[in-house]
Amino acid sequence: MVKQKKAPKVNLKQIEKIIAGYRGQRWPLIPMVEEIQEKVGYIPPESIPVIANALGLFTSQVQAVITFYEQLYTEPRGRNIVRVCRGTACHVRGGKTILKLVRQHLGIEEGETTEDMEYTLETVACIGVCALAPNIMFNQETHGDMNPKKVARLFEKSGKE
Amino acid sequence: MEAVTITLNGVEVSGYAGTTILDLARESGVYIPTLCHDPNLASTGACRLCLVEDERNGALLASCVAAISPGMTINTNSPRVVEHRKRILELILASHPDSCLVCDKGNRCQLRKLAAEMGVGLIQLQKIPQNDVIEEVNPFIERDLSKCVMCGKCIRVDQELVVEGAIDYIHRGTMVRAATLNDMPLEKSECTFCGACVAICPTGAIMEKERVYTGTATNTVTTICPYCGCGCTICLGTKDNQIVEARPAVDSPVSRGALCVRGSYGYDFIHSPERLTQPLIKVDGEFQEATWEEALSRVAEGLGQIKKDHGADALAVFGSSKCTNEENYVLQRFARGVLGTNNIDNGSRLYSAASRTGLGASIGYAGTTGSLDALERSRVIMVIGANPEISAPAVAYAIKRAVRFKEAKLIVIDPRNTPLTQFASLWLRPGIGTDVALLNGLARVIIDEKRLDVEFVTRMTDNFTGWTKSLQNYTAGYVEDVTGIAKKDVQAAARLLAGAEEASIVYGNGITQHTSGTDAVVAIANLAMLTGNAGRRGGIFALQRENNAHGACDMGALPGFLPGYQSVDEAENRQRFEEHWGGSLPTAAGLSALEMMKAAGLGKVKGMLIMGENPVASFPQPALIRKALSSLDFLVVTDMFPTETVKLASVVLSAASFAEKEGTFTNFEGRVQRLHQAIEPVGESLPDLEILLRLAEVTGSKMPYDSHQDVMEEIEDMVPFYRHVAYADTDSMGLDWGDVEGSSPGTRRLHKGLFPSGFGRFSPVEYTSPQDVATDGYPLTLMAGSGRYHFGAGSRSSRSARLSKFSPAALLEISGADAAELGIGDGDAIKITSAQGELSTTTKVSNSLPRGLLFMPISYPDSPVYELFGTVLDPQAKGPALKTCAVRLERTDGNG
Repeated sequence: MVKQKKAPKVNLKQIEKIIAGYRGQRWPLIPMVEEIQEKVGYIPPESIPVIANALGLFTSQVQAVITFYEQLYTEPRGRNIVRVCRGTACHVRGGKTILKLVRQHLGIEEGETTEDMEYTLETVACIGVCALAPNIMFNQETHGDMNPKKVARLFEKSGKE
Repeated sequence: MEAVTITLNGVEVSGYAGTTILDLARESGVYIPTLCHDPNLASTGACRLCLVEDERNGALLASCVAAISPGMTINTNSPRVVEHRKRILELILASHPDSCLVCDKGNRCQLRKLAAEMGVGLIQLQKIPQNDVIEEVNPFIERDLSKCVMCGKCIRVDQELVVEGAIDYIHRGTMVRAATLNDMPLEKSECTFCGACVAICPTGAIMEKERVYTGTATNTVTTICPYCGCGCTICLGTKDNQIVEARPAVDSPVSRGALCVRGSYGYDFIHSPERLTQPLIKVDGEFQEATWEEALSRVAEGLGQIKKDHGADALAVFGSSKCTNEENYVLQRFARGVLGTNNIDNGSRLYSAASRTGLGASIGYAGTTGSLDALERSRVIMVIGANPEISAPAVAYAIKRAVRFKEAKLIVIDPRNTPLTQFASLWLRPGIGTDVALLNGLARVIIDEKRLDVEFVTRMTDNFTGWTKSLQNYTAGYVEDVTGIAKKDVQAAARLLAGAEEASIVYGNGITQHTSGTDAVVAIANLAMLTGNAGRRGGIFALQRENNAHGACDMGALPGFLPGYQSVDEAENRQRFEEHWGGSLPTAAGLSALEMMKAAGLGKVKGMLIMGENPVASFPQPALIRKALSSLDFLVVTDMFPTETVKLASVVLSAASFAEKEGTFTNFEGRVQRLHQAIEPVGESLPDLEILLRLAEVTGSKMPYDSHQDVMEEIEDMVPFYRHVAYADTDSMGLDWGDVEGSSPGTRRLHKGLFPSGFGRFSPVEYTSPQDVATDGYPLTLMAGSGRYHFGAGSRSSRSARLSKFSPAALLEISGADAAELGIGDGDAIKITSAQGELSTTTKVSNSLPRGLLFMPISYPDSPVYELFGTVLDPQAKGPALKTCAVRLERTDGNG
């Protein structure tokens, strides 16, 4: 796969295809935007009028729902999502330092995405494996007992120096 | 429904099941404080200030959403309730700035009122920093969300009443606030500046901007909006004899809690520096200020001389669809009884004559058959040739509410993509001027598929068989060829319309301002009768451009009719009025508006009295009208402003605005509504009624009226369907039409499907190819219509500082396809040429138009679009074709 240097252009055609499956009803707003996010990676703001029109909702209403839910995003996200746990157990075991290291490695703050669209950094409140604290989730994988070395290795492995 | 009894503060009260505790308490006269509740909106229980306690179990309930249930023992003021309410208010105040001293909301702030009521002072809680003022450049609304208490009323009024959806919540928790899409300023959003959110905001978070005269209103007067035919009730706030604000009346049956941008912000023309404050007499081509005595005796002399030298029919009188019923009644009495001519007409000739003629012939009644409530109840609504969002906003709000909240289906028939199309189940785009073919085609499908209302047709109508034969040619195939609408869409529309329990048809100037306007109106009436929707249920809704178009015609400001559409040809009708007024009345029908102008040009009409109209701007061919009026020996104009017409006058009588007078307006539904004087007339101006009465006195024919009330009493006497109006009742806005209909046989409405003559009549109408569309040499069709921010001929709206600031110039809208073909871009300077004239303007590329169609708004005095139109008249209604004409475009150099 050729790595893109910039955010991909919004493919409204693809989105319209997804929307077509739901047209004419009002209830499927959430499943629809989830499907868009799954396939496109996020919900492009440009698609809000199209969604609203298809479901007979106001554009502002669609935005209200999307911005209400934390798991719905209106900005492009990186190919990899890094979630650093900031729960109590992880905090006690140095989660704060782990977060600082990850920030240094990626050169971005929480909630941001690297310019090459490779990583998005987020924090979470707890991922439920406190016994392994401090924890990081790298996409769907959980990495426990994190320390500076392991953080470095994690990002080397995935292509970042 | 079952009655439920509860104990409220120790007293047993009952209400229907489903009633909220709050509603029952208010009914019973028990006060419960509220902040986020509004009677016109769905309750959400957001603020919790309306808490009450159920003493049985100690539950604290939000009374605006909690329904009553048997055995409830409610205490609205227990120590616990009071303590909680105070705590809630303190929390709200913790995120509200203490800037009351400099806040313009002043004592109208509900938060401040509640704090005072509950004895909550400055609070000790740590302040939560709030959002800042939003930078916006529009001249109407400013938002300072630091004062927002998140009651959500602005969002609900926007979505539930106006159904625009420009704002909704964004984010959640402490970040939540009301925002437009992408959090843009209002002018870059879908906001239409109707001002409903400003009126409903309980605090100073959303405020009116750039007011002409600042300060808190010291008095509020309820009156009727002077712009479109909807007739919304507005509350004018006054201070120091100035209007400082206009707000919607929450209990208005027309507008409920919402106006439009013109109603909310267009009132400032009243205090325009251009107002005429004194009568003027032209001496050697220059106007000189005069006293009323001088001016009126000059008028009496001028008109009298012409009558003496050339006979009464050398005089003509032009009444106004903007003036009150009383003024139009007295004007026509002046024309007929004093001057002795039937040459009287009014401004509605230009846009609703076809409607009057067509409906009169079909259903025997010249107007809308139902109320706005009936429209909102309809299961299917068909809108044809109308863009009510612009021309009659209260109607658009009702239609959108029916679709969004009552699951009505909407059929929009319009070549343009209007704001309503996104609410439509079916949108048909016929070619310009092919409405008759389409309407006949719809009727034919309904008859062929046996979907007609047989009972209604048999019992209530005649000439059905004759009419059916005339539909032979209008097969779906033929209709597709003529209109360009696919067969299946024609069939779908017909089935939808015929299948509905209640269906309504709404039409406007897109129908009436064509040469085939009367025929199209008849075709609409046929379709309504065929489906049993002519009055008994559903109805025909004929939109009127101006506030009192209906009333001016009802009052007999028409060449062929005495008040109440009593034909002047019949001696019996004349006799009634002759007996009442004394003297004899002219017998032959007079000249209609355009005929008057033509006669003036030919020297047959030598003197004219124009009340509150501006024909030079509102008629086709302004140059010819100007010439005709200049050639008159004597022209009197009453107006508020030095309009193009006023400049040609021999004598100008300075008239008062709607806010400075009393009287009644009749809206498009036929609802007679009362005006109330809010301020004293500006300068020495006088209400038109006063001017006419004084003029009659000067001419030696004093009329026996001391006030508008005397005039209305005579109208009630002389006009059969105004009989029930009972002057006093017009005051209460909630006049119950149902009672009136039940009790009086001469009812003015057709709600119960009772046609005045007993039967509705089907009349055959044939499609003829339109003359007012693109032809050789003029390959494009120009459509002229209203714009959101201006109105009519623009005499008033162009003098409203805020409206003209926001929308200073008329732009020519062109479709993307045409623009690309002609190499025209956004903002290019172009010249429009028609067979009649030319006009220079700039373009705006719009995706709402089909290829070949251009749109240009009227009402901008600097871009007189009617220069391009000919004076082709609808042969039956004698109204000019002012909707479309054939043009060509050329790019001119400039800001390209």
